[in-house]
Amino acid sequence: MPVLSTKDGYEPKIIAYLCTWCSYTGADTAGIARLKYPANLRAVRVPCSGRVSPEIIMRTFDQGADGVLILACHIGECHYETGNHRTAKRFPILHSLMTFAGLEKERLRLDWVSASEGDRFSKIVNEFIATVKSLGPANWRVTSSDGIVVDRRMGVSGSDRVDRLLARVSQQRSPTSSQQQFVLNSHTANAEKSSAIQSVARQLLESGEVSLVIGYETGPRGRTRPAFINHPEDVDRLVWNQECTHNLATYLHGRLKTDAAAQSNQADEERSKRIAVVVKPCDSRAINVLTVENQIQRDQVHVIGVSCEGILEGSGFKSFADDQNSPYAFQSRCQSCQINKPVVFDTLIGEVSESRKIQVSADLISSQELWDLTPGERAEFWLSQFDRCIRCYACRQACPQCNCPTCLYERDDSLWVGMGTGLNEKRTFHLGRAYHLAGRCIGCDECEHVCPVGLPLSLLNQMLAQEVEKVFSHRAGYSMEASPIVSKLSGEERLP
Amino acid sequence: MNYEGFCTRDALVNWLDDLAGQVSLVIPVNDSGFLLYRQVVSVADIAWLVGESGPSTEQMYPHRPVLAVKEMFFPSTEPLVKIKKKAQQVLLEETLPDKPQVVFGVTPCDARGVRIMDNIFIEDLPADAYYTRRRENVTMVGLACQEMGESCFCTSLGGALDDPSDMDIMLTEFEEGFLIQVVTEKGRSLLGKQKFYSDTSTLNLDQVTNRATHAAISPLIPIPDIEAMPRLFNHEIWDRLAESCLSCRICSYVCPTCRCFDLRDEMLPSENGYECYQRIRCWDSCSRDAYRRIAGGHTPRATEAERLRNRIFCKFNYSPRQYGLEGTVACTGCGRCIDACPVNIDITEILGCLAEVVNE
Repeated sequence: MPVLSTKDGYEPKIIAYLCTWCSYTGADTAGIARLKYPANLRAVRVPCSGRVSPEIIMRTFDQGADGVLILACHIGECHYETGNHRTAKRFPILHSLMTFAGLEKERLRLDWVSASEGDRFSKIVNEFIATVKSLGPANWRVTSSDGIVVDRRMGVSGSDRVDRLLARVSQQRSPTSSQQQFVLNSHTANAEKSSAIQSVARQLLESGEVSLVIGYETGPRGRTRPAFINHPEDVDRLVWNQECTHNLATYLHGRLKTDAAAQSNQADEERSKRIAVVVKPCDSRAINVLTVENQIQRDQVHVIGVSCEGILEGSGFKSFADDQNSPYAFQSRCQSCQINKPVVFDTLIGEVSESRKIQVSADLISSQELWDLTPGERAEFWLSQFDRCIRCYACRQACPQCNCPTCLYERDDSLWVGMGTGLNEKRTFHLGRAYHLAGRCIGCDECEHVCPVGLPLSLLNQMLAQEVEKVFSHRAGYSMEASPIVSKLSGEERLP
Repeated sequence: MNYEGFCTRDALVNWLDDLAGQVSLVIPVNDSGFLLYRQVVSVADIAWLVGESGPSTEQMYPHRPVLAVKEMFFPSTEPLVKIKKKAQQVLLEETLPDKPQVVFGVTPCDARGVRIMDNIFIEDLPADAYYTRRRENVTMVGLACQEMGESCFCTSLGGALDDPSDMDIMLTEFEEGFLIQVVTEKGRSLLGKQKFYSDTSTLNLDQVTNRATHAAISPLIPIPDIEAMPRLFNHEIWDRLAESCLSCRICSYVCPTCRCFDLRDEMLPSENGYECYQRIRCWDSCSRDAYRRIAGGHTPRATEAERLRNRIFCKFNYSPRQYGLEGTVACTGCGRCIDACPVNIDITEILGCLAEVVNE
């Protein structure tokens, strides 16, 4: 993008997605009435605003647009009944996501123009172009002098406020920060739960009620890891402790799927047998989402719910629970979690109480702290994080809700994102994934735990969960309700 | 061992600072709590290097960065050729890398990984032009490990904590500073620019070398005999070992010897009326489910077990046979995949299980 010395001589690139039935005709009406609007607008005619996917909008900015305007029919006037309802529902989520990642919020706008409203069309366009012009060129598109070779940002920005946040990212996982006042389970409590899980598993396997129990075991180096138990004689491997971090619901979808998409050597009838799975309260929400999205049948799964007092931030090798005096920290998801009883279960193990005590460590970065930064600072923060990404896709693979047979961001034709590890591509993948999880993410933070370079992905997911709750009063997985983001606008939901 | 000389920590830091001004210098640095190879313009901020008290865990003594040094020679994304097209005219522009670089702080296991990559990318003809060029351009300055990490098993595969053989220059740290070994001519010409070290006559070399060679060596892990590997191909053990695999690519991407890649032509913004494209190559991994997928959607290695088996067989059977690795295997025992695997699939555990099966 050419650098311009003054904002006065600068002409922004504006892309407008116009619905052919209303705003595109509205533009014609404005033309016939000889109403003036600047020539910066590049109009893209679409059959319906509902067809303008969030990926298109993100891609438009990635390719160098300074502003994107979407003009749709007024609610109730859609040629396809509810196309603009979908736009209206998706938009606020995408808008907050892109703003959170550093885009000035004025650069993306959705409005409603009918075919006869030529004056309204020209007014909106004039307003929008003037606003974008006053902002100057967008900082969204990242180019590097080395072409595609990653431009190394080294976690240093021009801003003190960002630098302080960046420094805290590295402390997030460190158990050396102050000990928290949560209760550490005693060995006895863990042992009791372990043996309860073992006896349930033994009974389920012996009776033939399930063919497989997915739980936790201790690996040869003392790390807790997923275990797959097929025979009653193996149930002694199952354990429970405060390092049971994995969300085992992730494994259900692949093992229960019976349709042709599951390319497996296993016979179909074997796949359709019942499975028992050990879940924590947060993991149990994934069961609800998987069920309501028809990825699993509820009666295919025997849910062994375990009450949870919080999972520790593991160092990988040292077992904190072995030494009650060693420093420990609860994982960030556990610090603000009040729920110790699974939301769905067939067997419940452990004592449940009304609520857990919340104590959030001062090191933890909240989404509000990022909102307090300027858009430029937020962009700097996120780019310095995404720079570390190596596109190993562990975040996606560990996610119980990422279950598309082919990921949109890994298509062979590079339609939405290139295959490389440039900053643009990495940001598009992570923001796109976060958007796809909006209203569906149950907040287990597994994406963040598996990341080999510690991207603070939970910040994106939390922020979107807060937005979804604010706009739609929906919390994913707490009940058997599907995400409201891709459905018809209902009476009480507000327009953006 | 033939030492060229020794230098104090301060002298080394000064030399590196000078180097950073002359060439592109790459050093493992702490990026948000993760040790990663990064190009630096000054070494003053690198805590582990300039620390007064020498190596300590707080300063993250770099026993092993998250990613292997292979990314210097085989980057995660590499443009191979730029294609410009106007009507019937097609222009191809070469994009060979040409920047001389120095990497400081390479671990012996990583350097060994580079030697294995050399066998594959250079010695197995035709040589890969991009890899070869980067290999010529980059000088590796090694740093001997002070101790074995919890997941390290380089000694089980014939490596050593202070093995200089695959470096250009090797440094071994001791109380007063660093001992310097010059291994290649490329190393010598890098040192030749500046005499920042003195000779070793005043030092008691026995005491110095003792430190690395007497560091606690982790117990050796059993490695299955290559001749026995084919018998393990159809063993049921793979199903159990790979059951929890998430099919992510961490293990391959952090590995110092994994070198599978994918090619793709992608569009670039047009220039002066030319449509522009570039052919890029990116890391790929045999642990992902679509690896080797062919037209029509068939995947020959559809299950996690088959993919894990391929990864182990590639390292301990296929590569040694195909590329003549002189009796070694395509694994350096760096232990990165053990640390990084989200579900704790542990290569030493797998090798132990295989050795047990072989001995049955």
